Amino acid sequence: MILTKPILYAEDDPNDVFFMQRAFQQAGIVNPLHIVTNGTLAIDYLAGAGPYANREIYPLPCLVLLDLNMPGKSGLDVLKWIRTQPSVSTLPIVVITSSNQDSDIHRAYLLGANGYLIKPGKPDELLVMVKGIRDYWLAQNRSPASWVNLVDEQKSAPTNPQTE
Amino acid sequence: MLELSDDRILERFSRIQSVQGGNVGRVWSLCDITSRNRAEEVRVRLAAIVESSDDAILSKTLDGIIATWNTGAERIFGYAPSEVIGQPVTILIPADRANEEPQILEKLKRGERIDHYETVRRRKDGTLLDIALTVSPVKDANGRIIGASKIARDITERKRTERALREAQAKLSRYAEDLEKQVAERTATLRETIGELEAFSYSISHDLRAPLRAMQGFALILAEECASQISPEGKEYIRRITTAAERMDRLTQDVLNYSRVARAELPLERIDTEKLLRDILESYPMFHAPAADIQLEGTFPLVLGNQAVLTQCISNLLGNAVKFVAPGVTPRVRVWAEKVGDGKMVRLFFKDNGLGIDKEAQEMIFGIFQRVSQSYEGTGIGLAIVKKGVERMGGAVGLESGLAQGSTFWLELNGAKIDNE
Repeated sequence: MILTKPILYAEDDPNDVFFMQRAFQQAGIVNPLHIVTNGTLAIDYLAGAGPYANREIYPLPCLVLLDLNMPGKSGLDVLKWIRTQPSVSTLPIVVITSSNQDSDIHRAYLLGANGYLIKPGKPDELLVMVKGIRDYWLAQNRSPASWVNLVDEQKSAPTNPQTE
Repeated sequence: MLELSDDRILERFSRIQSVQGGNVGRVWSLCDITSRNRAEEVRVRLAAIVESSDDAILSKTLDGIIATWNTGAERIFGYAPSEVIGQPVTILIPADRANEEPQILEKLKRGERIDHYETVRRRKDGTLLDIALTVSPVKDANGRIIGASKIARDITERKRTERALREAQAKLSRYAEDLEKQVAERTATLRETIGELEAFSYSISHDLRAPLRAMQGFALILAEECASQISPEGKEYIRRITTAAERMDRLTQDVLNYSRVARAELPLERIDTEKLLRDILESYPMFHAPAADIQLEGTFPLVLGNQAVLTQCISNLLGNAVKFVAPGVTPRVRVWAEKVGDGKMVRLFFKDNGLGIDKEAQEMIFGIFQRVSQSYEGTGIGLAIVKKGVERMGGAVGLESGLAQGSTFWLELNGAKIDNE
């Protein structure tokens, strides 16, 4: 189950979404890629709020790919929010943006990003990057996300004090 | 009167002495009046001094009635002696200061003196004047206070000067405030402009590059996935799309680099220029044989610079040197250093065998978006970055060149001291 947990991709540019989906397909990544098109929706998804209330359809992701420059709440806002939420605070977050400004990189790490990638201009370069994500974040990296879920499951395990 | 040779003055008078109706002779009485006469002389002299004084000098009784009045008083207050002697001194006092005189009289009766009291008095014609007043009690031979002498000095002119000075000072401080306000306002405007510029370059990096990525990406996907359906001409068009997109991408990157070099804090450090040069040459295949022949000559003193910016500047200069050569010519670049300006500055030279730059173009070549050659790829920002970067590090740039002679670009930076020096 853990291997096929989804990846949440927060990105407002439909072209970049298309390129990312294509690269995921070419890289043979089996984890479903859930797209949210702005920061507010990203927070809703992670909080299980609004349209994302059903965790069966929208389970917590094992990795968040985060664009910085989005309308409304920015990627940095989302980053800040995630790190203050006990249920998702340890989620691995990789920023994927076109900004190579030092100030953005600095702030992203300061707010707790686990990685910072710059969107490549060409599809084949993007494929190389996505394969890197696959090999590092999905295959080799161990993150505490599964442990958090384990605790969640224990909490929600059916114990019925009334029958005791 | 008799004046004796010893300066004594004698007053004499005689009386006929008669005895029982018969005239028997004259009796002469002589009286020495020397001291009386001297006192009179002193009195006259003192009166003359009082009379000729510029200040108003008057005396009054303890009831405040004017007793004497000199010409200074006449000049200052406008009253003739006959008009004021016997009048109360209050005729000189404006209504709003009527309470001053009782206080002055009160003090006088206690034997106190009023020294240089600045106040306002009224002239005969009703105009007001500023005066400085000194009032002293006058005592009789037995030490009883019988009146007061009053010296009034016209300080209208001084007061006017003081007022003018105060006004000038106030005006000056108002101007200073205005100036400060203006500076603050302009600084704020400037900050705003800089902020806008930052936002602008940020937007270039994000918003302008996003559609560019899409153009480039879809063109490449098109060439890849639909290759069998596209004619050779079609493929050429796709190639042109991607080339243009790449160029646009480089342009936006260069504009960003320029604004970063122009704005960012550039901490200066000691830089081993030779190592830096070798690292740069190592990093780019276009600087290696057989693509190019680049030689470092002699020794390279340490300089004060910013590693990242200096790397960018030198890369740009070397990049230009190997790029702008006639077709078929192998770029040859010599790099060396010289100490200039009493040995305090270090100048790095980059001499190439390129196309050269004519005199006119040399003037503008360091400006942003200036391109000398239409037939060579370039964004027209590279040298602007070099100039801006070197200037921000406290140095200068320049070149010597002529058409078909190759060019020698140089950049000059502050030399860095070696620790043991």
